[in-house]
Amino acid sequence: MAIDINEYNSKLKPTWCPGCGNFLIHMSLKKALSELNITPSQTYIAFDIGCNGNGADKINTYAFKGLHGRAIPLSAGLHLANRKFTVIADLGDGACFHEGLDHLIHAIRSNYDITIIIHNNQNFALTTGQATLTTDEEKPMYGLPDSKPERTLEPSEIILSANPSLYARGYSGDMQQMTELIKAGIQNKGCSVIEIMQLCPTYNEECTPQWFMQRIHKIEDTNRTLEEARKVGTITDESINTGIIYRNTQLKTFYELLENRKDTQTELVDEVKQYDVQKLFDQFK
Amino acid sequence: MPANRYCIKLGGESGQGINTLGILLSKAIKSIGYNIFSYREYPSLIKGGVASYQIDLASKYIASSSKSCHILVILDPEAVHEYLHSLNANGILLYDDKQVVFTQEEQDWIKQNNVHTIYLDSQTIAINAGGSPIMSNIVMTSFLWKLLGFNPEDLTNIVKEIFASKGDDVINKNILCLNAGYNASEFKNEYLQNTLIPEQLKQENSSKILTGNDAIALGAISAGVRAYYGYPMTPATTIFKYLGNTYKETGILIKQAESEITAVQMALGSMAMGTRALTATSGGGFDLMQETISCAGITETPLVIVLAQRIGAGTGVPTWTGSSDIHTAVKSGHGEFPKTVLCVSDVQSGYILIQQAFNIAEIYQIPVIVLTEKQIAESLFTVETLPQPLQIQRGTYDGESRYTITNTGISPRWIPSFDKKPYLNTSDEHNQNSQSTENAEEIKAMSDKRMQKHATLLSNLPEPTLYGDPNVPTVLVGCGSTKNPVIDAINEGMNIAYLHYEYIFPTKTQALMNLVSSGKRIIFVENNQTGELGKILTEASGYQFKEKVLKYDGRPLFLEDILNIQI
Ligand SMILES: Cc1ncc(C[n+]2csc(CCOP(=O)(O)OP(=O)(O)O)c2C)c(N)n1
Ligand code: SF4
Ligand SMILES: [Mg+2]
Repeated sequence: MAIDINEYNSKLKPTWCPGCGNFLIHMSLKKALSELNITPSQTYIAFDIGCNGNGADKINTYAFKGLHGRAIPLSAGLHLANRKFTVIADLGDGACFHEGLDHLIHAIRSNYDITIIIHNNQNFALTTGQATLTTDEEKPMYGLPDSKPERTLEPSEIILSANPSLYARGYSGDMQQMTELIKAGIQNKGCSVIEIMQLCPTYNEECTPQWFMQRIHKIEDTNRTLEEARKVGTITDESINTGIIYRNTQLKTFYELLENRKDTQTELVDEVKQYDVQKLFDQFK
Repeated sequence: MPANRYCIKLGGESGQGINTLGILLSKAIKSIGYNIFSYREYPSLIKGGVASYQIDLASKYIASSSKSCHILVILDPEAVHEYLHSLNANGILLYDDKQVVFTQEEQDWIKQNNVHTIYLDSQTIAINAGGSPIMSNIVMTSFLWKLLGFNPEDLTNIVKEIFASKGDDVINKNILCLNAGYNASEFKNEYLQNTLIPEQLKQENSSKILTGNDAIALGAISAGVRAYYGYPMTPATTIFKYLGNTYKETGILIKQAESEITAVQMALGSMAMGTRALTATSGGGFDLMQETISCAGITETPLVIVLAQRIGAGTGVPTWTGSSDIHTAVKSGHGEFPKTVLCVSDVQSGYILIQQAFNIAEIYQIPVIVLTEKQIAESLFTVETLPQPLQIQRGTYDGESRYTITNTGISPRWIPSFDKKPYLNTSDEHNQNSQSTENAEEIKAMSDKRMQKHATLLSNLPEPTLYGDPNVPTVLVGCGSTKNPVIDAINEGMNIAYLHYEYIFPTKTQALMNLVSSGKRIIFVENNQTGELGKILTEASGYQFKEKVLKYDGRPLFLEDILNIQI
């Protein structure tokens, strides 16, 4: 029995542009939580700053809307303090691949047990349409009438280079698949990266639902080597593969590798009390 | 020349060697009943360059370094040129390298100041005694020990203790070298220093020696800190080292983050989830943390950062001391929000203020910055016991809305739990229900609510402490490490009182203004260029302070710097 999806709604209505992919991404996130029977009080979402982050006060879970680019380290800190919570970092392509790229790489290699949802709308939308590293190379953008001089970079290459515990790609027009991918991310023990190709009719108007439909291919969730995953993950002019691209079930999480926490049953939040330091003090001579 | 203390300086090649020797000697001197204060000077490089280790000893508690020493032990020929002039007149220079060549100026200086130079072929002595060449350091130390007039057994005990893990062979060889050094024929009775050395305490000595950073780490453990997130930067790094090396005993989660931005964000996240987490850094790292301080301010999330200061802008002089980040701490983070800045001066205050920092951060839901300085962070203090720990106060209570407007400004905050109502912490300006707002009245109301906490906190903070005779005409004012040479100067009989600030911001000014209006001469003493504490106090009191003694050459305020103030 899933939890009533309305439990995850706050009193406010979303404010995105008509046709914006964020509506269904947020809906899928709520559906995933409800289908997994994770209550609002068992969830902690770290929201970034951007159009996606404007959903923060529209969702009724524990949440922290922090700073631009910092949703990932914030969620790592949240998670390590109490691993009983389902912790999610929710951020845009600008936040993830520009302001906070180091955080993404280090979170994957640290393998915190969190789920990172990237709203990849191929631009800085909230600041009215600047180029990101996923923006098309030919496309004129805010302040760049002749398009960006920098090269485009493929998120799948960046993510796979750090050997993630789970990497999946979804499309904001396919709620059912997004829900399944987010569920897989939450259930996976380790750092799960869910990249959502997000419709942004305002600043990425070329990439219409039709444009996506012509290119999207759903792939199977099978064992792939990193090499195979790279091939499957690469976006070409003709095709964008969606589904679970890569899993590495061998990786231990950061916390599991902490020698001094191995036999501890409690969480850090349960352990705040006065500690007698006399023995430690006595070790000084 | 301060009368109630004696000062030894070791000068040598930069590296672990001189530090190890300095600690050994500090422990040995402490073990026979002295109070010591040890201070290191070293360059920011791993090999090459010269370094020194200075030990001041006294029968009473001291916490400052002298500018000049009675005895200088040179372990590397280069070091002699750097440190020769720090010797007192009639002092002793002990060296063990034939390659030491004095310049003409140095030779003249040695003569003028009646310095005794002693050359000891310590390597040959070590080898003849059956030891290895590196044990020449032990030969030098034991010869020094003899000059000081101390008993060789006491040094032997410490050598055994320090080399305990190295096995019997190493210990035995070291002891052979120790004895050979102590009995070296270069010794003459006229060199004996015992008339200059203060009397040692007769009673049983259970005191310990630890650094200011050790004290902060112990205080953090005591206060229930369960996670430490760090990124290496001198002089904060040794907090990381202590918490890391004791993590099995304490169970504290240790994470070396990819940057200070990450470290402080992780700390913020863990605090928001309801544990206690710490991060520590120095100036440059602190700059990177400032966006998060601002974020903690508006989201009303408790946060504690230790800012261990070194001197200079940019990379500055990484391994040297100063207190030039007071203003940065007080003004840190964009926008307007309440915060607290506390200032550590020694082991006791480091231990207590870090605990206080967590209580204040949690009760008032604000960022708290704990300042220390290289001179406190890495120097060894002698202490008998630690003060009583503070009771943990978390200030949590349940409510309907996370940002409810109250008289004190303090809203309900409850630790996230499966059976409690979820809430949003948000760095967007927001109303009482965490909804983002652009409404003029709501913006103002929430800003006022937050700033009300500043007023509430200010009324609960203590005034600064006045040390010394309140009837003397001259009062020095300072914070942090300034306290230590000033109190030592008072103990040397200097006719001053001292007003010491531990709680810098929000700023109490009543005690200070009472001194001003009673006609006292007020002199600010700071280890920075522009009088950072003075500026904060002027801003809070409206009063322009005229006299300032400022030092900003990377060196600490030595005892003589205080004694030389014209009063
Ligand atoms: C430190 C900082 N720099 C810049 C900004 C301005 N800013 C707000 S949102 C944003 C870009 C958001 O882009 P993205 O993360 O892709 O999210 P989107 O709006 O596209 O969903 C920027 C640059 C900020 N809030 N903070
Ligand atoms: S600008 Fe783009 S991302 Fe932002 S709300 Fe509009 S459609 Fe959505
Ligand atoms: Mg974007």
